[in-house]
Amino acid sequence: MQSRSSEVRKGEWEARLADMKYTLYLFRKNPLVMSGTIISLFFITLALLANIIVDPNLAYPEGYSNAIYPFERKYMWSVDNMINWGPGIALYHGPEFFYLGTDGWGRDLLKMVVLAIPIDLYYAVIITIGAAVFGTLLGAIAGYIGGVMDEALLRITDVFFAFPPLVLALVFAAMFGRTLETLVLSLVLVWWPPYVRLIRGQVLSEKEKPYVEALRALGASHSRILFRHVLLNSIYPILVQVTMDFGGVILTFSALMFLGFSPSPALPELGNLASDGYGHVFDAPWVIFFPGLTMLIISLAFNLVGDGLRDILDPRLRR
Amino acid sequence: MKEKEDPVLEVKDLRVDFHTYRGEVKALNGVALKLYKREVLSLVGESGCGKSVTALTIINLLPENASVLGGEILFKGINLLKKSKEEMRVLRAEEFASVFQDPMTFLNPVLTMGTQLEEVFMLDAEALKQAVVKQKSLRRDLGYSDFLSLKGEHQSPSTSNVEVSKAEIKKMAKNLCVDILRIVKLPDPERILKQYPFELSGGMRQRCMIAMALARRPSVFIADEITTALDVTIQAQILHLMRELRDTIDASTLMITHDLAVAAEIADKIAVMYGGNVVEVASTREIFRNPLHPYTKMLMRAIPTVTRSVEKLEAIPGTVPDLIDPPPGCRFHPRCPSAMEKCNIETPELKEIVENHEVACYLY
Amino acid sequence: MKGILIVENLKTWFPIKSGIIQRTVGYVKAVDGISFNVFRGETFGLVGESGSGKTTAARSILRLIEPTAGEVYFDGVNVTKASKRELIKLRRRMQIIFQDPYASLDPRQTVNSMLTETMKIHGVISGKSEARDRALELLTKVGLSKEHLYRFPHEFSGGQRQRIAVARALAVNPDFLILDEPTSFLDMSVQASVLNLLKDLQKEFNLTYLFITHNLAVVHHMSDRVGVMYLGKLVEVADKNAVYTSPKHPYTFHLMAAIPVPDPEFEKEEVLLTGDVPSPVNVPSGCRFNTRCPYATDRCKQEEPSLTETDGHWVACHYEIDFQSGERRS
Repeated sequence: MQSRSSEVRKGEWEARLADMKYTLYLFRKNPLVMSGTIISLFFITLALLANIIVDPNLAYPEGYSNAIYPFERKYMWSVDNMINWGPGIALYHGPEFFYLGTDGWGRDLLKMVVLAIPIDLYYAVIITIGAAVFGTLLGAIAGYIGGVMDEALLRITDVFFAFPPLVLALVFAAMFGRTLETLVLSLVLVWWPPYVRLIRGQVLSEKEKPYVEALRALGASHSRILFRHVLLNSIYPILVQVTMDFGGVILTFSALMFLGFSPSPALPELGNLASDGYGHVFDAPWVIFFPGLTMLIISLAFNLVGDGLRDILDPRLRR
Repeated sequence: MKEKEDPVLEVKDLRVDFHTYRGEVKALNGVALKLYKREVLSLVGESGCGKSVTALTIINLLPENASVLGGEILFKGINLLKKSKEEMRVLRAEEFASVFQDPMTFLNPVLTMGTQLEEVFMLDAEALKQAVVKQKSLRRDLGYSDFLSLKGEHQSPSTSNVEVSKAEIKKMAKNLCVDILRIVKLPDPERILKQYPFELSGGMRQRCMIAMALARRPSVFIADEITTALDVTIQAQILHLMRELRDTIDASTLMITHDLAVAAEIADKIAVMYGGNVVEVASTREIFRNPLHPYTKMLMRAIPTVTRSVEKLEAIPGTVPDLIDPPPGCRFHPRCPSAMEKCNIETPELKEIVENHEVACYLY
Repeated sequence: MKGILIVENLKTWFPIKSGIIQRTVGYVKAVDGISFNVFRGETFGLVGESGSGKTTAARSILRLIEPTAGEVYFDGVNVTKASKRELIKLRRRMQIIFQDPYASLDPRQTVNSMLTETMKIHGVISGKSEARDRALELLTKVGLSKEHLYRFPHEFSGGQRQRIAVARALAVNPDFLILDEPTSFLDMSVQASVLNLLKDLQKEFNLTYLFITHNLAVVHHMSDRVGVMYLGKLVEVADKNAVYTSPKHPYTFHLMAAIPVPDPEFEKEEVLLTGDVPSPVNVPSGCRFNTRCPYATDRCKQEEPSLTETDGHWVACHYEIDFQSGERRS
């Protein structure tokens, strides 16, 4: 397929831009992807604006000190701070009108969910990208070099694969403690092995392609070939995986919070918010329902985007 | 002087478009072809000329995004384009057989050659039943050539009532498999039937594909670049086989190739295609001795041959036409040294200039 | 006269491993001892069918595949024993054009990037704009133009991609070019223009070519001398005309006879080789060609003939055969 000869591009970036137009066209054709993208964009915008539209201080009730609690069972704090589930707390409609009701602290649940979105998204991004970068680099180098290093890395990832992700995450979280930073570390450690496998497969097949041989014949060093050529050509499945993992990470992150690994009980975070309603599914179902629903929608949206990306980036369908 | 009989297959003014992201690819621009009984017609052209698309249209194997915009494909007088998908499927199975370029992708890697070849025979159990009955009456083993002559024979009521067991039918299929492999010159057919495709060499696989095609006793045998992937010496063997088979089988052959030399070796007639049209048709001897269309002439001067030494090959200036935005009129005219005003307006039709030599060019 | 490229008894064997501990049980003897010279400025054609080893030989010469034994000298420098640094310097002078124009270019690179990358690797230019100017110069030399500079490979036809590959190879002024089936994936008319381009460039830059192909018509057009390979060995090396009109080795003879000729008037004898090309895993004993050779004797089955020369014409056969009469003499 040839371009129109009148189109003269003036630089590298113009060239890449023109290339992207085709991708966007494919994107638009798929309704599922479009809806996933719209929803995702909605949540991202919400995340960016959250702290502006809702006052973050609302998360912390009067007199509450935002200290991080040591590792104890969640409800064994000092008597002053125990949550009291008496009538008046966790209302659906009360003196003020609460669209989603209140949570176990009496806070407006809608506002809490809005505040929680940027936190979840932010940490999910850090974790996913952290795991992706780490796993990809290791996997790419191992796949390209092969030999003992490759074998060793594979065995290590096998060990990680032996455990269900949530269990592994729990173990790490228990080991490393419950600050947000350590939780990020735990989840990155859980999520990096699939990237190793993914990139390794791609690199192994790209390595055999004629253009790699051509580059060697031109005198290119192995690192140049790997980082400037092979890696860039193998990146598509990684992008897809990152998008799809996003949903999974949010769920696992929230699950950990739900199970009690949150650094602070008042932290507006979807899993944390849901955990308040755990024992009260029948008398105050909204406490657990709405944060859960939000989690679901966000994961689904990103999953759809990832799925669509996979179809679009499939090299057989392009060109 | 041969009686001008009716062609077995005639294509008239065939137009096919493909819908793609970049636009409508006007692949076939009014293709006209005639294939006569027991004749080998070679469709020669470079990539993009539409030779494979023509074949695929004939047997109705076009991809989803293709549309036939007009024209006729007449097989023994019947317009194939007017037939339903189901009718085409049956016709395609009974009358047309094709072999394509890469035998490895067309053979099932997990089944033995025997299983696959038998399966083809078993598709027409009625014919096998007929064969068993015939064999009983002949009192000797039925070979492929007998099987061939059975085609078209109507069953008399006495034979159609004869009981033939499944085992006998299977045995007949097996025997025919062995015989047909012998006909395509494969040594030790019994052993080959037990082997898997990956155990065979490229040349052997291609012969098996030819055998599978012939098993259906087709009227039209379409060979699409069947020797392109083979080594020179193996290609020579396959071409030799094709020449020998002409006497054994009753079919007309449409041989598609991009190699003019291969066409010269095997075809009775050559049809040169360019940019979605047939631009010249003549007997092999005639077209080499007296090429008329400018493209044909230039093509012959562009190919290196061992019988002629030149300092420089005469490359054809320009590039193959963009089928999304093709030049108006004759699609070759931008590259043609003899282009005239007329060529830019309307596509020339294929006309008989010299006896049995048709050209689509305003020069004549 | 010494050649710019001297190949001495080059062997490339690939081990076949099997079993849990991956023992080496045999070898694929892809190249099994070839020796030839290529002189400066000439085109040496290397022909053979699949399994002949010609592609492996090309890569072994450049050490893209490490040879198992033998030596390769380029302009006096021992390529096979060169260190990594020396090898990179050598790569500047010895380049290769591959067969598949669709896969030998990185699909994510623009033409400009491809051409300037070679220059960057060898430190030939100083600035971005200087590199781009030189890239433009190269493009023009191969028959492309300015608007092609920032396009991606998939926007070009096969013939154009090969031209880009040629431009890329020429970016650092090599002396020697290996052409590995450069036109086999191209259409007939495109092939002509690419071959013409190669010939022009050879004259302009005084290049030496090692032209590898299975298309005997093409090699006839392009080469000065021809070497015929069969199952890892050279069976005949001679001037182009000698090889085509008076071949001495039976394989060469059959190869020439098998070429389809685009001329129906041309009287060709039906000379066919039986059987398939044997695999380089199970090399026949004695002369490798004996299993298919119509003139084979017991001696051929036991003793491997060596490549001997008469008047610049090298043959590896125990006998002198008159192909017209079928007469065989020792």
